[in-house]
Amino acid sequence: MKRHALGAALIAAVILLPALVESRYVLFVCDLAMIYAIVALGLNLLMGYGGQISVGHAAFFGIGAYTSAILSVDFGWSFWTALPASLALSAAFGLVLGLPTLRLRGHYLILATLGFGEIVRLVLQNWQQLTKGPTGIVGIPPVRLFGIALQTERQFYYLALAFLALALVVTVRLARTRMGRELISVRDHELAAELMGVDTVRVKLFAFSTSAAFAGIAGSLYAHMSGSISPDVFTFELSVALLIMVMLGGPGTILGPVFGALVLTALPEVLRDFKELYLVFYGVGILLLSIFLPRGLAGLLRRPLASG
Amino acid sequence: MLQLVLSGTAMGAIYALVALGFVLLYNATNLINFAQGEIVALGAYLCVFGAAALGLPYFGTLAAAIGAMAVLAPLLFALAYFPLRNRSLLAGVVGTIGIGITLKNLFLVVAGPLPKTLPVFLGGGQVELGGASLPLQAVIVIAVAALVFAAHFFFTHHTFTGIRLRAAAQDREMAQLVGVRVNAMMGIAFVASCVIATVAGFLVAPIVFVSPEMGLPLMLKAFIAIVVGGFGSIPGALAGGLFVGVLDTMTAAYVSSTYRDVFTFLVFILVITLRPTGFFGERVSLRV
Repeated sequence: MKRHALGAALIAAVILLPALVESRYVLFVCDLAMIYAIVALGLNLLMGYGGQISVGHAAFFGIGAYTSAILSVDFGWSFWTALPASLALSAAFGLVLGLPTLRLRGHYLILATLGFGEIVRLVLQNWQQLTKGPTGIVGIPPVRLFGIALQTERQFYYLALAFLALALVVTVRLARTRMGRELISVRDHELAAELMGVDTVRVKLFAFSTSAAFAGIAGSLYAHMSGSISPDVFTFELSVALLIMVMLGGPGTILGPVFGALVLTALPEVLRDFKELYLVFYGVGILLLSIFLPRGLAGLLRRPLASG
Repeated sequence: MLQLVLSGTAMGAIYALVALGFVLLYNATNLINFAQGEIVALGAYLCVFGAAALGLPYFGTLAAAIGAMAVLAPLLFALAYFPLRNRSLLAGVVGTIGIGITLKNLFLVVAGPLPKTLPVFLGGGQVELGGASLPLQAVIVIAVAALVFAAHFFFTHHTFTGIRLRAAAQDREMAQLVGVRVNAMMGIAFVASCVIATVAGFLVAPIVFVSPEMGLPLMLKAFIAIVVGGFGSIPGALAGGLFVGVLDTMTAAYVSSTYRDVFTFLVFILVITLRPTGFFGERVSLRV
């Protein structure tokens, strides 16, 4: 009962937040945190459930953002038509990366995702005709819903919240389906899973493309929220931050990545005045996290957690 | 053509050194060290400091930087790397990324964002070689790198410590049973890895700017070299480094200088998918 009451209070607080908070800046940080939370949930599917580590996830986020930006600025598409395109293209790239890396495990997979992330970043930076190079794309129109342009942080808040809720529902449902359980079996013991009749190839491809699709949706939202994008957002540093979001909250949990996204988006803003020193402590914090809490904060709450 | 191969070789020799430092630590501890680039940068900063603040001569700078690194490396090992040694793959990757971020931002706090240069003491001249002319700096790079690889080979094959080091890397448990102190061997491997990184930093400093950002590109090139050469293999690190250096220079000259890194990464992904063991790779490509 206590848990239910706590959950209800949390949901009410999240819904009422824009009415209670005056500051546009705080709402902006919340919007951004929700967008990153969607990417983190996708990465969590791949990493927390599937046991595959990606250090190139910013690339899928970037592909989603650029697809939406190019379609809406150069071709006049609306957000609602560009979004499925972002989703599809990111998912397709997920498959493209997933296919050759199926045979790879452990450190090879990590390096392949790293290489993929760098290739995408370099292409975004250098393909002048398509991506406008290092300056990026400006003038991306805001999302229109029922004839209203969602221009302010307050208006955008509920859109981001709706997509985050959708991502959460999909994650929860998925974890309880056959595919979700197969994914976990691949994480825990790939060989054993295969012997039990799990089609590990199909499961891994599914994880890669779904995970990329989450990032694509978030990328599209990001492009339409900020109005301009440039390649210096979609870097190795962002991929690392996404990885830490999942790890801080707890890989393989539902709310962990959301919590991680909130902390990692808000913390640099709160400590803005100490920028460089903050980053030193960020680095030390990551090291301490991986030494003492490799299962994240969720590992503290629930000690016996079946994870590899 | 010969000109390109030679200058590619000089760059490749540096990649090979970065890769050698990485492979040494990987073999001893199984850690994928994402901070290798920052350790090279630390070495380069130590050289710049030695040259600018202490006014040391060329090779004196290197000696002083190696001395300083020999003090810093055990500290870094005890505080950061040793606790990571038996963790999961993910924790090791994330932990070393954390070490890299810490070092990079420490450079920023201590030395500031402006890039620094290591003056070229002897490297001003040109050397004629079979119709190609090469900056003296490039010749020094190739010679020093060759010397390091030779010294490493001698150390691991002809000294008692080196042989114990290899034993610990090959089979930790077996080595322990015959009385090798495996943890101490990890420490020695790490210090050796840092010293080699310092040499790499010393050689690369006059060619690229010394800045907090210099680590990542070097590390990426070294990763490519390691995969192409074969993960965990020392001849592979050498061959892969030279391959990447020459490929890089050739692509820039004949294909496209904007897309040369994209091209190199594509070759990397091709190798990793078609032949993950590289030229001289691990016998077990899939570790269950």
